[in-house]
Amino acid sequence: MAVRVHIHTTHRQFTNGMEVVPVEGNTVSECLNQLIKQFPGMEKALFAKKDKLLNIVEIYVNHATAYPNELVKPVKDGDDIHLVVMLAGG
Amino acid sequence: MLTPSERERYDRQIMIGEIGEDGQEKLKRSRVVIAGAGGLGSPIAIYLTAAGIGMIRMIDHDQVALSNLNRQILHWEEDLGRKKVDSARTKLKNLNQGVEIEAISETITESNVSQLVDSCDVIVDAMDNLPARYILNRCAIEKKIPFFHGAVRGFEGRAMTILPGETACLRCMYRGPVPQEKFPVIGVAPAVIGTIQATEVIKYLVGIGKLLTNRLLIYNGLEVTFREFKVNKNPDCDHCGSLSG
Repeated sequence: MAVRVHIHTTHRQFTNGMEVVPVEGNTVSECLNQLIKQFPGMEKALFAKKDKLLNIVEIYVNHATAYPNELVKPVKDGDDIHLVVMLAGG
Repeated sequence: MLTPSERERYDRQIMIGEIGEDGQEKLKRSRVVIAGAGGLGSPIAIYLTAAGIGMIRMIDHDQVALSNLNRQILHWEEDLGRKKVDSARTKLKNLNQGVEIEAISETITESNVSQLVDSCDVIVDAMDNLPARYILNRCAIEKKIPFFHGAVRGFEGRAMTILPGETACLRCMYRGPVPQEKFPVIGVAPAVIGTIQATEVIKYLVGIGKLLTNRLLIYNGLEVTFREFKVNKNPDCDHCGSLSG
């Protein structure tokens, strides 16, 4: 059992097309670090700088927003993290 | 009161138990602002006009360009160069003479937004950029007008309904400005999202169903998935945090 990180469509170019990446971690931050270790291209897709998410990135844990302190949000085996990109077009 | 012609015209939706003749009369008495006459604004306006909303105010400062025609289905080749709101009014009046269409060719700004949405029951977000959406969101919160959000990119879209003072608003998860871009999009994406927004407006005006409040709906047309995420009203939100709820 692991935490499942669901990758947004526009980010799958950095995960070899993987839609869901299983990782281990006790917080969102630890899970994202694991994700980036496997797929380094995800770092620029998610972070403006260390521990600062891009403004366009939204994180949901078990289908609920993790805002405002997304990175320290605790997670456990079996949880789902969705990485979502904000949209602005019309 | 509905006229005999209106009873015939709207017969199939009056037959829906949740709408009935009372609901149809509510739609007829309603006044809706659609902010944007583009990809989202087109299906929203068409379906609300067909449904028999009393008055629809279309606001858009732009003119029809060739590159709009892959998705902005209110506008046709013959409209190239024409003001979008004039093009929209022509099509909507041809669809339903009984709906009053106000066409306002203006840019929405902090200084004119209050006047532009004056005396309307709901505001529908059909904009193509976040700064304008936040102007509308703040105005909707201040004037306590329900706000129906939608946005698209590529094959993807999202929608959420905001009841000021009661539910999460567009700004409740704000982290900072986002760079503006020329966004890719195919017409079927705003078609799906705009139709969901129009559905929400009809439900709200009639007073039926379960609204998309505190729920962000994300549609992925490539996978044909609808995902729903719970969002919370943020007490520290700089737009709605001061309102109870």
